[in-house]
Amino acid sequence: MANTKTDEKLQKIAKDLLESGEVSLVIGYAKGSNLQRMRPVFITKAEDAGKLSFSPHAVQDLAVFLKKPEVKKFGKIGIVVKGCDEKAVNALIQEYQISRDNIKIIGMECNGVIRQNIADKGETNVSESAVYDKCLICEEHIPVLYDFLIESEEPKLVLSGNVKPYSGIEKLESMSAEEKNAFWAKEFDKCIKCYACRQACPLCYCSRCIVEKNMPQWIDTNSEETGNAQWNLIRAYHLSGRCIGCGECERACPVNIPLMLINEKMAKDVYNLFGYKSGLDINAKPVFGVFSESDFNDFIK
Amino acid sequence: MEDKDVKKEEHKAPKHGGDNSSDPRIIAFVCNWCTYSGADLAGTSRMKYSDNVRVIKLPCTGRIDPLFIVEAFKKGAKGVLVSGCHPGDCHYTSGNYHSRRKYATFRDLLGYLGVDLDRVEFSWVSASEGNKWVSIINEFTDKIKSLPGKSTDIFTKK
Repeated sequence: MANTKTDEKLQKIAKDLLESGEVSLVIGYAKGSNLQRMRPVFITKAEDAGKLSFSPHAVQDLAVFLKKPEVKKFGKIGIVVKGCDEKAVNALIQEYQISRDNIKIIGMECNGVIRQNIADKGETNVSESAVYDKCLICEEHIPVLYDFLIESEEPKLVLSGNVKPYSGIEKLESMSAEEKNAFWAKEFDKCIKCYACRQACPLCYCSRCIVEKNMPQWIDTNSEETGNAQWNLIRAYHLSGRCIGCGECERACPVNIPLMLINEKMAKDVYNLFGYKSGLDINAKPVFGVFSESDFNDFIK
Repeated sequence: MEDKDVKKEEHKAPKHGGDNSSDPRIIAFVCNWCTYSGADLAGTSRMKYSDNVRVIKLPCTGRIDPLFIVEAFKKGAKGVLVSGCHPGDCHYTSGNYHSRRKYATFRDLLGYLGVDLDRVEFSWVSASEGNKWVSIINEFTDKIKSLPGKSTDIFTKK
C-alpha cells in the first residue's frame, strides 16, 4: 500500500529528528503482515524512517515501551502517539518515570481505532460500531500535549448515541452484591495469571510487582479462585486514579476478562470523588499523592 | 461424677470466632497512636466489648494496605474494621488523610466486585474514646451477625 499523506508527514518528522540527533530512537507504527494490522517499530537510523506509518489499525499503546530499561537507555526518544496513548506519557512524566526533556511527542490526530476482531474481517472504515469503546468516550482526539501534530485525513467519528460505551458498568452498579459477586467470580475464574494485563499496561512499571513479592506472599500465584480475584482487584486498585483508559490490558487478555469495566469504573469514581482525571496535565500531582482536608468522609464513623 | 463432667467439657471444641456465622471473626486494623490507645483505655477502664474482634496494631492507617483487608477476608474474617486517628490528629501529620483517599476508592472497588460493604467498616477513634471503640465494635459485631450466614464473596476460600 502506498504511503498516505499522513505517513509522509510522519516519516519526515522522524527523519529530521533522527538526522539532527534530537532523538536517538523513534518508536512508531509500521505496516503489519496484512492491511488490517499495524505493528510497533523502533527506528534508530534516519534512512529507516520510511517504515513509519499510521492508520486506524494502530491499536497498540506505544507508551508501554517507555517503561522498559532497554528503551530508556536510548536517552532521547521520539514516540508516535494517539490521544489516549499520550495521556499515558503524561502520567509517566507526572510520576517522574520519564523526563519531558527526553521525549519528543509526535501526536497523531485520531478518530478512533478499529477493533482488531472486526478489522480481521476486513473492516477498514472508522465507524461507531467498529471502534473500541474507549474511542466513543474519547475527548482527546487531538493529544493534549505534543511537539508535533499530524492532523488526520480520516473522516471524523460520527456518534449517533446508539452504541453505549461501557454499558456494563451501569448494569453492574444496579446489581446486588451477590449478583456482582457471581458475575466477577465467573469472569475471574477464567484468569490464567499470565499477567499480560500488567505487561501491556504503560503505567504498570514497578520493577518488582506486588504479585512477585513472596515474603510475605500476598497474592496466590497459582491460578485459583481467591488468588485470581485478589490479583485482579489489586491490579485495578493500583491503577485507580492512574489508568488513562487505553484499554491495552483488556486487549491483551487472552481469556477476555472485561478489565476495562473495572478500570473505567475506578476512573469514574475518582473523578466523582476528587475531580481528577489521569494524564491530562503533566504538572498536576497524582491524585493519591496529595489529599484535601475536605475529602469525602461519609463512609467513616 | 465430677471428673466425668470435666472431661466432657474438655471434649468440646475450644470456643473461637470465625467457625460459623453465629460466632464470626472480625479483624480490626488499628493505628498505634489513637485507636490502639483508645482500645487500651476501654480495657483499662474495664469496659466490656464483643470478643469476636481481633486487633492488629500498625503504626498508622496510612500503613494499612488494602491488601490486608483482602487477606483478612481470604483467611476467613467475616468483617474488617480499619480505624485510626481523627483528621488533623495523625501522629505523622497526614497518614490518615492519605488513607482516607485510598479507602474512599478502595471501598467502591470492593463493592463493585461484589463484597457486601456491610462487612467493611472505617472509623476514627481517638486515644480518649474508649466508649466510642466499645460501641463501634459491638454495633459492627451485631451487624455482621445479622448478615446471612452464606454472605461470602470471591475473596473467601471455599
